[in-house]
Amino acid sequence: MRHACKKISQLASDSLDRPLSLLERLKFKLHLSMCGHCRDFDHNINLIHKVTAMIHTTDYGQTRLSEKQRQQLHDNLNAIK
Amino acid sequence: MKKVDDGPHSWLHEHGDYLYRFAMSRLHNEDLAADMLQETLLAGWKGFDKFAGQSSIRTWLVGILKHKIIDHIRREIRGRNLSEAVENDPTSAYFNSNGSWSDAPAAWKENPEDLFSNEQFYKTLESCINKLPEKQQIVFRMRDITGEDTETTCKTCDVTSTHLHVLLHRARLALRTCLNIHWFERGNRS
Repeated sequence: MRHACKKISQLASDSLDRPLSLLERLKFKLHLSMCGHCRDFDHNINLIHKVTAMIHTTDYGQTRLSEKQRQQLHDNLNAIK
Repeated sequence: MKKVDDGPHSWLHEHGDYLYRFAMSRLHNEDLAADMLQETLLAGWKGFDKFAGQSSIRTWLVGILKHKIIDHIRREIRGRNLSEAVENDPTSAYFNSNGSWSDAPAAWKENPEDLFSNEQFYKTLESCINKLPEKQQIVFRMRDITGEDTETTCKTCDVTSTHLHVLLHRARLALRTCLNIHWFERGNRS
């Protein structure tokens, strides 16, 4: 079974981006039930995925144009219009 | 007829912060985000006749901004020729020739909330992302940080969905290893 780890790691990554087919899901689950390394890998990348998703929702929540940027934009709009 | 207050100056006043935030969350660069905002306001002004009034001004401007950002990223990728061939497979480094792990992943005990609120971890994560090859960085940021859907990511980066999955797999393998070395293995809780 070990020979399949590379392919299984691709499926673990894919499962974050697309629904796996029935066959892929079976293969994936079966392998994970027997392989601790791939279970850890799957857990690791899911953890990273969750943290990065949180960054997006909160990171820019407070972001605002600075007064300088705002003034610059007004000036540029005046110049071009 | 155009109402006097429907000009780019009033859009900047009312929707500027919102649009800027939208651009920042995708471009992570203040000057660039401000440039895109300016282009959006101007394009909106020029094309205002086409605004059907079926959506709000804000939704309409966001639509224009989205296209400006996609165009920008596409130009960036083309201009710097950031192609990454599928054949040249960097994932071999993580596996033995028989396909088993050469550097076996270990269990990580932390939960996402604690990691997220830890500034040191955030810095480590950022520096690991910055070490990825540029095209992997772009697709990883679009998919996992911005949360863009697969279709938009493929369209923007000019890749097929199969190629996208290959790039993301590479990015996640590299990121996992980098974080393991610089964070988890060290027991780094400072």
